[in-house]
Amino acid sequence: MFNIGKNTVHVVKYRILWMCLSAVLLLPGIAAMIYSTITYPTHTPVKVGIDYTGGTILQYGTSDNVTNKQLAATREDLAKIGVENPYIQVIKGNKITKEDNGINSIVSIRTHFIKEGSELSKNISSIMSSNYKNSSLIQFTSVGATLGKELLQKSMIALALALLAMIAYISFRFKLDYAIAAILGLVHDILFVIGVFSLLGIFCNVQIDNLFMTAILTILGFSINDTIVTFDRIRENLRYYGKKMTFGEIVDASVNQTIARSVNTSLTTFLTLLALYLFGGSTTKDFVFAIMLGVVVGTYSSIFFCSMLVDFWEERKSKQKQQPQTQEA
Amino acid sequence: MKNKLIWFWVIVCLVIASVIVIYKKPTKLGLDLVGGSRILLEARTTDTVREITPSVMSNLKYAIEHRVNNMGVEEISVAQIGDKRLLVEIPGETDTKKAEEILGKTAQLDFRAPKLDENGEIVRDKTTGQIIWEQPQITGEDLKSASIGSDPSGEFVVSLEFNAKGATKFAQLTQKLVGKPMAIFYEGEMRTAPNINEPILGGKAQISGGDGGFDSQEAQEMVDYLNAGALPVPSDIIEESQVGPTLGADSIAKSKVAGIVGVALVMLFMLFYYRLPGLIANLALVVYGLIVFAIFKIVPVTLTLAGIAAFILSIGMAVDANILIFERTKEELRAGRNLFTAISAGFDRAWTSIFDSNMTTIISCVILYYLGSGVVQGFALTLGIGILVSMFTAITVTRTFMHIVFGTGELKYPALFGLSKAEIGKGYEATETKREKARFGILD
Repeated sequence: MFNIGKNTVHVVKYRILWMCLSAVLLLPGIAAMIYSTITYPTHTPVKVGIDYTGGTILQYGTSDNVTNKQLAATREDLAKIGVENPYIQVIKGNKITKEDNGINSIVSIRTHFIKEGSELSKNISSIMSSNYKNSSLIQFTSVGATLGKELLQKSMIALALALLAMIAYISFRFKLDYAIAAILGLVHDILFVIGVFSLLGIFCNVQIDNLFMTAILTILGFSINDTIVTFDRIRENLRYYGKKMTFGEIVDASVNQTIARSVNTSLTTFLTLLALYLFGGSTTKDFVFAIMLGVVVGTYSSIFFCSMLVDFWEERKSKQKQQPQTQEA
Repeated sequence: MKNKLIWFWVIVCLVIASVIVIYKKPTKLGLDLVGGSRILLEARTTDTVREITPSVMSNLKYAIEHRVNNMGVEEISVAQIGDKRLLVEIPGETDTKKAEEILGKTAQLDFRAPKLDENGEIVRDKTTGQIIWEQPQITGEDLKSASIGSDPSGEFVVSLEFNAKGATKFAQLTQKLVGKPMAIFYEGEMRTAPNINEPILGGKAQISGGDGGFDSQEAQEMVDYLNAGALPVPSDIIEESQVGPTLGADSIAKSKVAGIVGVALVMLFMLFYYRLPGLIANLALVVYGLIVFAIFKIVPVTLTLAGIAAFILSIGMAVDANILIFERTKEELRAGRNLFTAISAGFDRAWTSIFDSNMTTIISCVILYYLGSGVVQGFALTLGIGILVSMFTAITVTRTFMHIVFGTGELKYPALFGLSKAEIGKGYEATETKREKARFGILD
C-alpha cells in the first residue's frame, strides 16, 4: 500500500454532503439578493451607502447618552428645515481609549448631497447643538451622485479583471480545469459574503461602502491562496503517485496533507481580524466582518468545494475517454 | 552553513537599518487619522473652454496650489486624479468653508468691449437698457502682475500691469474704444465700465471698486488671486470629507490596541502549536514588521485607517509561509529524515505553494491599485508590500534561523516540533527522483 498518510477528511466519498452544505450556505443569501435587487430603488443586491449612490453623512459627537426620544425629536426638526427622510443612527460605546474626549455617543445622519459650510449644514449643526449636550461635528463625508455611480462601475471592472487575471495565472501554472474550479470556488465565497450582507441589509440596515469592495477583493486573494496550496499538493502527488492511485484517492490524500496548514493559516488570519473587529476603529468594523466571513467560507471552499469540483471534472473526463475504447474493443 | 552565517548578518543589518529608518523618519498619517479636510474637485467646461485638456488641468492645479499656499496651512497637497479631477487635502483644517471659498473662486478677469451695430452705435438691451458686451478680448492670462494702490481721492484700487502681448492688445482695444465704455469683469461679474478718453499705451490699468468702493481686504484678496493666476475653468466639489482631530486620535489609539492584541494572539498560537519553530516564526514576524514599517516610511505610504487594517491583516497572513514550511518539515521528519534534510526539503517543497498563492494575491493588489481610488489604493499598496516582504522573510529569516538553531544532526527531541517519538518514521513514503534527492541531500 502506498502510505501517504491517514485520511481524516473524505472529500470524494461524501461529495453529495459537501454539495448540499454549500447549497445551504448560499441559497438564503441568493434569495435575499434577488429580493433586494427587485425591491430596492437602487436595484442592487445589497444596500449601498453614499459611496455608491452619492449623498452626505454628518457625524456628531455628544456627551449625552442618546435616547430614542432625542432621535425622534431630531428627525422632526430636520424635516422642518428640508432634510427629508434622513437615516439617523447612533453609535455608542465609542470610548475605549483612556483619554476622555467627552464623547459618549455619536449620532450619524445620512442624507442627500449637501455641501459642508452651506446654509443647510449650518442649520443641521445648530439643531444638533440644541438637542444634544456638547455636540460637535466630528466627521463629514459627502459624495456627488455621478462619482458614486462611477465608483460602482470601476469596482465591478476591478472585480472582473481580477478574476480574469487569476484564471490566466492558474491556467498558466496549473491547468484550465483547475483554474475554473478555483474560480467557481471564489464565486462560491463571494456569493456567500454578499449574500450575508444582503440579509444584513434587509434585517439590520447594513449598507456597503467602498471598503466592502476592497474586502471582497481581499477575500479573493485569501481564498485563492488556500485553493492553490491544495492544488499544488494535488499536482505534486499526481507526479509521484499518478500511476499507482486513482485521481480521487490523490485528491483525498492531498486535502488531508494540507488541511492542517489551511486551517492554521485561516486561524492566524482570523485571530488578527478578531482583534481588529473587537478593538479597531468603528469605520472598519463592517469591512473586517466581511473579511472574517470570507476567511471562514474560503477555507471551507478550498478544502471541500474546489477539490470536489476538480475530482468531479476529472472523473467525467476519464469516463468519456474510456467509452470510445470499450466500443473499439 | 557558511552561507547561513552570511544571511544571518544580512538580516541583522536589515533590522538595524529598519530601526534607524523607523526612528528617524516621521510616519505619514492620512487625514482620517490626523483630522482634516479632503476635497475632490472636478473641472467644468465653459463656453470659452470647451474641452478639459491636460494643459488646462496643469494650469488649474498650479493656480490652486498657489492659492492654498497663501492659506498659511502647512503640508497641503494638491494632486490630479484621472483626467479632470483634483484632490485637495488640508491636514488639521476642519473649517472647509474657508477652503471652499478659496477653491471655488475662479478669479477670472476679463476686459470686454461693447457690442456695436453697423453704424458704430452701442447696442443696448431693449427692455433693461443695459449695454450688451462682446466676448472677452483680454483675460487674466495677459496679466503680468497686480498690486494694491489708491486713486487721488484715497479710494483703494487694484493696479494691473500687462505682459508684452497683453499691453499690445490693451492698446489696440482702447484705441478702438475711444469715447466709448469698456467693461472689466471679475468672476463673471461686471466690476466697472469706465469711459475710454484716450488710448492707453503704457500697458497699465486700474480697477476701481465701482460704486461701493473696495475695502482694503477685498482689494488685497483680489490682488492675491490675480497674482496666483486665474483658474482657467471653474470646478465643482464632487466629494468632500472632514474628520475631526478627536476622531482621528481615537482611531489611532484603537488601531494600536487591535494591532497589539492581534500580534499577541498570532504569536501565542504559533508558539503553542509549532513550539521552537514557532518561536523562530515569531522572530521572523518581528523582522517582518520592522521591515514593512520601514518601507512604509521610505516610500512613503500614507497610513489610513484601512491601511493599518491591511497591515494588521497582513501579519496574520505573513505567518502563512511559515506554517506551510513547518507543516512540510514535520512531514519530512515523520518520514524519518534528519534535521537538515527535513528543513531543506520542507522549504523547497513549500516554495511552489508559497509563490503561486502569493502571486494571485499580488495580482489582485495590482488591479486594485490601478483601478481603485483613495482608500482602496492605499489598502492595495499596504497589502502588496506586506506580501512581498513576508515572502522574503519566510525564505531568508525563518530558513536561516532554523538551520542555525537546529544544525544538522538527528532529531533528538521531537517535542521541539510538537511531534511525538512514536510518529517518527511513520510518515508517508516520499518518492523523489534522483535529482531531487541530490538537491535535498538525501542519502539512501
